[in-house]
Amino acid sequence: MKSMTQKKPQNIDTTASVTDRAVSQLPIRNHTEQAKAQHAQAKTSNHLDGLKTMVEIDDLSFSYDMGKTNTLQNITLDIPEKQVTAFIGPSGCGKSTLIRCLNRMNDLVETSRITSGQIRIMDQNIHSKSVSPIELRKQVGMVFQKYNPFPKSIYDNVAYGPRIQGIKKKSLLDAAVEKSLRGAALWDEVKDRLKDSALGLSGGQQQRLCIARTIAVRPKVILMDEPCSALDPIATAKVEELILELRQDFTIVIVTHSMQQASRISDQTAFFYLGELIEYNTTEHIFTNPSIKQTEDYISGRFG
Amino acid sequence: MAKQKSSNNPFCKKQLGKPVSEILQYGFFSFATYCIMLCALVIFGKIIIEGAPVIWRKGADFITKKPQTLAVVEAVETQGIEIPTKNFNNILSSNDADTLPLKDVEEFKKSFPYKRFSLMPGSIIGEGYLKSIEQQNKGFFLIYTERDTKSSVGFSVTSDKSITLMTSEFEKLKSLVPELIPAMVTTREVTLSDYQVTIDKGDYALSKTAHDALAPTDLIFQMRQGFPDDEPDKICQSIIPKTQTITVDANTYFAAFDEDENGTLPIESQKDLPKTTTFHQFTLAKGVYSAPLSAIAILANQGITTQHNLVRGSIVVNLDEPADLMLPMSDYEQLIAANPGIKLEDVTDFEQKADYTRFTLAKDAEIRIDTEDLDAITRANEETGKFKTNSENTHSYSGGGILGPIVGTGLLVIICMIVALFTGIGAATFLNEYARKGAFTKSLRLAMLNLAGVPSIVFGLFGLGLFVMLAPSLTSTPHIESKLSLPLAPVASTPQLRVVEEKKIHMETRELSTSTVVAAARSNSQEYFHDGWTYLSFEGWGTCMLAGGFTLAIMVLPVIITSCEESLRAVPMGFREASLALGASKWQSIRTAVLPYALPGILTASVLGITRVAGETAPIMFTAAAAERSDLPWEAVQSTGFAAFVEFLQQSVQALPYHIYTVAGRIPQSEYTEPMQYGSVLVFMLIVMALAGISIWLRIHFRNKIKW
Repeated sequence: MKSMTQKKPQNIDTTASVTDRAVSQLPIRNHTEQAKAQHAQAKTSNHLDGLKTMVEIDDLSFSYDMGKTNTLQNITLDIPEKQVTAFIGPSGCGKSTLIRCLNRMNDLVETSRITSGQIRIMDQNIHSKSVSPIELRKQVGMVFQKYNPFPKSIYDNVAYGPRIQGIKKKSLLDAAVEKSLRGAALWDEVKDRLKDSALGLSGGQQQRLCIARTIAVRPKVILMDEPCSALDPIATAKVEELILELRQDFTIVIVTHSMQQASRISDQTAFFYLGELIEYNTTEHIFTNPSIKQTEDYISGRFG
Repeated sequence: MAKQKSSNNPFCKKQLGKPVSEILQYGFFSFATYCIMLCALVIFGKIIIEGAPVIWRKGADFITKKPQTLAVVEAVETQGIEIPTKNFNNILSSNDADTLPLKDVEEFKKSFPYKRFSLMPGSIIGEGYLKSIEQQNKGFFLIYTERDTKSSVGFSVTSDKSITLMTSEFEKLKSLVPELIPAMVTTREVTLSDYQVTIDKGDYALSKTAHDALAPTDLIFQMRQGFPDDEPDKICQSIIPKTQTITVDANTYFAAFDEDENGTLPIESQKDLPKTTTFHQFTLAKGVYSAPLSAIAILANQGITTQHNLVRGSIVVNLDEPADLMLPMSDYEQLIAANPGIKLEDVTDFEQKADYTRFTLAKDAEIRIDTEDLDAITRANEETGKFKTNSENTHSYSGGGILGPIVGTGLLVIICMIVALFTGIGAATFLNEYARKGAFTKSLRLAMLNLAGVPSIVFGLFGLGLFVMLAPSLTSTPHIESKLSLPLAPVASTPQLRVVEEKKIHMETRELSTSTVVAAARSNSQEYFHDGWTYLSFEGWGTCMLAGGFTLAIMVLPVIITSCEESLRAVPMGFREASLALGASKWQSIRTAVLPYALPGILTASVLGITRVAGETAPIMFTAAAAERSDLPWEAVQSTGFAAFVEFLQQSVQALPYHIYTVAGRIPQSEYTEPMQYGSVLVFMLIVMALAGISIWLRIHFRNKIKW
């Protein structure tokens, strides 16, 4: 098992190798005036007009090693409420890092620092001193890449969140468990074996159980870090279906490697490369008419 | 043909023959391996061959009985002996049945004349008689709190006795039982001196006689340690905190201040206070008398022996309805004679039959026999006058019985594991979950690993210094050798004195003399030693199981912490992240999503820790172990409530490894004790193997049950 400190530097290494490869292949950092203007326009397009903003990321730079090197560079991005926003980009481009900033999971890495900018969720700077990461995480839930249900019963897994919030009454817990499992479209499959171990479920069911576990806490935002990368196509389809349903109640931010998945389920798509936000627009726009060449190269599969 | 084939084979073995060095290497390695196997075989074989017969012969008695000491008895002449079958069976199990020199063994029923009767409520019985009734009638047990000190009870005087009394006692006796006093009373006047002595403050050596004489006086002193029961002649150090002047009578004076004797106090200055006392002397004729207890108390001081401790008081039988009881004829007769206040009904004779065994013991035959059985034989053959023996050699522990050591080891292990698991899991959690990873944690871990390599005797000495002699305890009377005492709070109740113990007084008369003196000394000492505060006194816990358990815990901590950390590290990071992402605080996530899944590993490791702790001798040698103890720890507790718990923990215990050491190395060796050490070792080995088995089973069980 790797601890967080061991894991992250490896990612940085991958960044370096990706850089080498990418630089040799593509003229990415062309600092011509025209390109700069194009970039600026791509980042600040007005595709979000009329939508209520849930998360505002303002000029965010982030470092894993006390500020020596920035893993994220000056990211500015607004995430609208009750929509699915997808982060795409090659490995090591910082999309997982960004999503982990949103509920301050990066606090677990002792050497991590926000070097500039801020993140506001519901108009509150989440790194201000008055914000408790515990309360923040109750509002901003997270589903991980590798499904990780606790080795307990299905019921106990879903009831875990309400229980640590101090709910002890059985009727309340029962109601919360049923509501969450129904919300995660898992109720009909597991209602007869709630007391069985969660580890006996199939992979897709386990991942949906993790989603149920997350929505049992009733968060405003759900962050999903490549939720389908360990699942087969059928399980993936079910999870995607679920995400589309969840969109009605939750703001969803999803990191994905699969372009098809992003195009299928997301409303907005942001493309990252080497720690920078390259282009952010509606999914339709990104996939049909990208403004920037790098984006086009990436989604058309010419690299990455 | 074969040669041709091999020439075609590219991997053909080169036909050089075996080089000598290869043979030597092979020989050395295999020799080393077989040597180890041989050693193991010899050790285990010896233990099993020597130990198994002992356990086989003794059966469950070997582990369920307390350590027994057998006497080896040699018969003077060939004699027919009869004893209860129960005791006979004990003798059989104590000896090798094949070589036992018994002939004509025959079982028979022996009948004894008994009396059956109903004991009526309201009877007054001497305590000793009540005890013997309770012994003879299983299931009859009287709970009593009140003693009857006023009613008359009987007592017998076995021969004419000359009695000398002082005026006050004489007058009292005369008023209580006039019929005791004969007409002829001689009176004489004696001048005796009281002594006023001044004792300088300081440290003194005190014998038990001197201590007993001084205890009831006004002298304020404190013993550094108590007198051990098994060494009554030992001289112990005491301290006199200030220069004092006291007045003592002649007896005390000669017991405590005689310069020729060892262990008495030197006198700074003294003054004689002559005092004239009138004595009355008369003769008490042989016979049975009846008198109030207060009168008997006076006579008891004069050496009139009353049977069955009657003098300690009589008890009013507090029953709801008559109790049907029985007694042997002789006991019954004594009971009737000595207790005029007893009320019996439905007295009938009957014969009680008991299983007896008769056998002939050849001359010069040698048998091993438990002291209890020896008593039974002597009693059973009292009338015939048989069972004459010439030599009685007792061999300590030759009867086996290792319940005490097993219990002691169990208690030590429990205390040790409670302490070690709490601190161990705490430290491992801190190191693995909270502490920043850096040079500090690295050096901490290194220090811990080094701790695992420290020789266990060093832990023993450390425990002696820290827990036995320095650890803090709460007391109202800090020990003289306390390193530091801090007053904490006013005491809630009157403290018990350490030196002057209040004697239990049942008799009205003695209250005037002894108890007033005790009370005076008590208030005096209280003034000096008790300022009404409870102290946190760094005086150590003494040699006790608490100190031993803590010492063992410190010894096993590195092992526990290392394995706990390993178990914690084996819990997937995903559990922590998932739990935190659901809004759990750090501690909540550790408590609900990390520790439960690390627990199986911790458990397995701690069971292995138990086997190590159970086998250690050196750390408990100075801190907890007693070489000899006849009772189990809970049998010795006298206080109640929380104090009982503290008292329980502050006892030294026998421990299995230390017991083996004692039997094998510290007591005189003989052919009778040797098998017992092998028996103990075998039992010990089986226990350790069972624990290791449990550990393996736990590991497999949890590995199957919990997967991720």
